[in-house]
Amino acid sequence: MPAKDVVVRELAKMVGPGGILHREEDLMTYECDGLTVYRGQPLAVVFPSNTEEVSRIVKYLYEHEIPYIPRGAGTGLSGGATPMGGEVIVSLVRMKKLLSIDYENREAVVQPGYVNLKLTNSIAHKGYYYAPDPSSQAACTIGGNVGENAGGAHCLKYGVTTNHILGLEVVLHNGEVVRLGGAPDTPGYDLLGLLTGSEGTLGIVTEITVRILKNPQAKQTALAYFDSVEDASHAVSDIIAAGIVPAALEMMDKIAIEGVEKANYPVGHPEGVPAVLIMEVDGIAAGIEDQIQEMVEVCKKRNVREIKVAENDRERAAWWANRKTAFGAMGAISPDYLVQDGVIPRSRLPEVLARIQKISEESGLRIANVFHAGDGNLHPLILFDSRNEGETELALEVGSKTLAVCTDVGGSITGEHGVGIEKKEDMRLVFSDEEIEAQTEIRSVFNPHNLLNPDKLFPSPARCAEVKKAVKGSGGVKQAVSGP
Amino acid sequence: MIDALKDIVGEEHIQVLEEREHPLGNHAPYVVYPHSEQEIASILKLANKQSLKVIPMGGGTKRGLGGVEPSGDLILSLQRLKGIIEHSVGDMVVTVCPGTTMKELSASLAKQGQMIPIDAYWPEKATIGGVVAANDSGPKRIRYGSARDHVIGLRVVYPDGRIIRTGGKTVKNVAGYDMNKLFVGSMGTLGILSELTLKLRPVPPFVSLVLLTFPVDALAELKNFIVSIQDSTLEPFALEVLSPTLHEKMNQQKGFGLAISFEDVQKAVEYEEDWLISRLPQGVERHILRQEEAGQWWSDFTRLPPEDTSYTSVEDDDQFEIALKMGSKNLYALDLVERCHQLGEQQELSVKAHGGAGHGISRAYVKGSRERLLAFVQDMRAFAEELGGYLIVQHAPLTFRQQLEVWGQKPSFFTLLEGIKQAVDPHLILNHKRFVGGI
Ligand SMILES: Cc1cc2nc3c(=O)[nH]c(=O)nc-3n(C[C@H](O)[C@H](O)[C@H](O)COP(=O)(O)OP(=O)(O)OC[C@H]3O[C@@H](n4cnc5c(N)ncnc54)[C@H](O)[C@@H]3O)c2cc1C
Repeated sequence: MPAKDVVVRELAKMVGPGGILHREEDLMTYECDGLTVYRGQPLAVVFPSNTEEVSRIVKYLYEHEIPYIPRGAGTGLSGGATPMGGEVIVSLVRMKKLLSIDYENREAVVQPGYVNLKLTNSIAHKGYYYAPDPSSQAACTIGGNVGENAGGAHCLKYGVTTNHILGLEVVLHNGEVVRLGGAPDTPGYDLLGLLTGSEGTLGIVTEITVRILKNPQAKQTALAYFDSVEDASHAVSDIIAAGIVPAALEMMDKIAIEGVEKANYPVGHPEGVPAVLIMEVDGIAAGIEDQIQEMVEVCKKRNVREIKVAENDRERAAWWANRKTAFGAMGAISPDYLVQDGVIPRSRLPEVLARIQKISEESGLRIANVFHAGDGNLHPLILFDSRNEGETELALEVGSKTLAVCTDVGGSITGEHGVGIEKKEDMRLVFSDEEIEAQTEIRSVFNPHNLLNPDKLFPSPARCAEVKKAVKGSGGVKQAVSGP
Repeated sequence: MIDALKDIVGEEHIQVLEEREHPLGNHAPYVVYPHSEQEIASILKLANKQSLKVIPMGGGTKRGLGGVEPSGDLILSLQRLKGIIEHSVGDMVVTVCPGTTMKELSASLAKQGQMIPIDAYWPEKATIGGVVAANDSGPKRIRYGSARDHVIGLRVVYPDGRIIRTGGKTVKNVAGYDMNKLFVGSMGTLGILSELTLKLRPVPPFVSLVLLTFPVDALAELKNFIVSIQDSTLEPFALEVLSPTLHEKMNQQKGFGLAISFEDVQKAVEYEEDWLISRLPQGVERHILRQEEAGQWWSDFTRLPPEDTSYTSVEDDDQFEIALKMGSKNLYALDLVERCHQLGEQQELSVKAHGGAGHGISRAYVKGSRERLLAFVQDMRAFAEELGGYLIVQHAPLTFRQQLEVWGQKPSFFTLLEGIKQAVDPHLILNHKRFVGGI
């Protein structure tokens, strides 16, 4: 591998001097993504402006065997965009254009750095929207969404990112540019589906064609307060089993509610209430009332304390802002928090939440739950204080324990945040060695030299990297990983 | 080889075929009927060691899809691997054996008010394994999506006998690569699906089907009407354009047909019907079918494609029927159906075509002489490609498939497809040369 200053000089030729960061102080921001407990030093960060630049950069890195990582907004929660040490980060944030909208065919073409929420905002005046709505949608990029196969509150009815991707332009590991999809079921293996959720290990996505949808004619949103988590989670299972397909079905427990009420978007949830369900139905106006009524009946059978139906769009928006900012809101009640992302067969909710509660009691760490209940996608937020000796490690351990509960009931370790660095070892809770190997065999087809986001996703021993003992830092533990 | 196979499945589960060939190809001297995943693994291990060419088969409805070799070494039939392993009603998830027919599956799920919303063709014969492997879908994918959107977990027997689980039993899951996607639509070229887990939907409370007839010269009106529906807040579960010949056959009407399906609570469906009726352009006939009647219509619709038994032999001067599948952007389905119709008229071919104006898949069933059929395919393929789409020959006799590229030209990223095949099936034992570019 060439020396750092040579690499920087060569890359700067491709993107211009303003298109690269390489001084140590400039690289700090890129040491981690939304999961701050793992950190690594990149070699440099390059900012290409178009596909040709990405292709040229990748070709250079490939020829010189320099590892690299595609990066969007860096809001990922599993360390997908976090360097292991010594990689070049290829940031896609300058490629942030909305390239075209075709309402008649219901599709839009965007560059990877285009921010998720901007798409919906750009087409709302025509009554259209982009369905996948991660809570981070005001910041995260559609490229990053493809990387993680992101979900969101409304993915219960409308599906996650992979169900909305119609085409991709991808720069392959050697710099070659290919276009996938474009029409439904294009002949060949479903590479579109394979690349979505591959966490930047199979190629760099440089253009995305997504499906856009027409806004539903009507929506109703209701809050249902319960006196026990158990009743609330039974209500969730009952709603699904009754054959209702809500547009969204979210839950927050007492600690989560305490957090959101103390943070920036309080909506007046009753103090101390053990659980709230946020239920939304949408569709043809004439049928909406029946649907919400059916859900109300189910809740009543599960001893609901109170149900409030949103009076208007403003109230609905306030409730969603309250819910969607819940992770950050934990900052109001805890110095640090770790987000977990287990997923379970939704009929097992009551049991699993009880077991997570027990883990919390045994560890002494508080756990808030705010999650996509209708999908069975849990987000236990483990609250901790990194200033206390050993508490960060404990939080990580508690996180892993919650995942083990999920896999124990037939679930999985991640519903939407991805494996990244964080859950590499936890992959063994789900897959056998043979099954992991079957996946790395596929990786080898796209990424034969493991240069593309190396050593992520799979529990292999770190490639010629020496993992140093965890060092304490402001955001939690700094795991410094030195490069080759 | 045959002795080893007997050891695995028992003599009574091996069928020796008298015929040397089958007009649809994808033939072999033996059919093996394993009844467990372990038996499949043993068969594949044997085949892998001896480089035997294996042709997996469910109900045989896709026998005419792909493949240029007259015969392999053995057909591996999944027909004895039947039945539902687990229907978790509360989770709306089902785990099922690959040889279960779509009809059996629907009947069982319906008892709990649930369904797999893949409206596959020939549901009495087509098996869930085959439907997923061949990625079959019908008009209702406009709202429900297709197999890739429903499959959440698989067990796959690899050519070397490894049993690999992909996905899981939860409706969301991003642990590792989304390996399910590799096998959906892989045409049995990578592994044998030995168990499938799919998410379900509730059976809709009320169903209606609005059948409209547009005069043959009113295509512009038809298009505008479709655009206005798509731009409205209606939620059609099918928006399928029918060519005049097909419309006549299905609905005894002259002109282009438009089949619009609504599935919701009755009040909502009635609102949607009224919306349509009040906006119908002049000169457009309408007919509405509801509930069982609509169900019957859709059931007839699934019997449009030619069956595997529709020809016993194919001579050069015979008239025979082929099926084509085209993919394009949504609205171009209309152009494709129109072009199919025109070409049929010009070439004096019988062409029944339909296309989903909201999902971009069009199909045509064309009957005629070999030469004219070849010309038709070439013409339509060029047209589809001009529109940025593609055409594949979904069903045709072997000798016809040998005369053209069933899947079209190799895509620019062919090395990736080839690489995947090499990684999973290095001895090329599964459905050899059946898929894109001879994979
Ligand atoms: C407060 C908060 C709330 C969140 N809520 C949700 C939620 O509701 N649902 C949800 O799913 N996630 C959620 N997330 C997680 C995160 O926002 C998503 O994973 C998002 O998709 C990441 O997008 P990004 O642009 O930040 O990508 P990054 O974090 O930059 O990258 C994510 C991964 O994708 C890869 N990648 C990025 N761009 C490309 C590209 N162009 N080509 C190939 N690979 C690429 C990276 O290498 C990395 O592995 C939340 C995060 C936060 C901080």
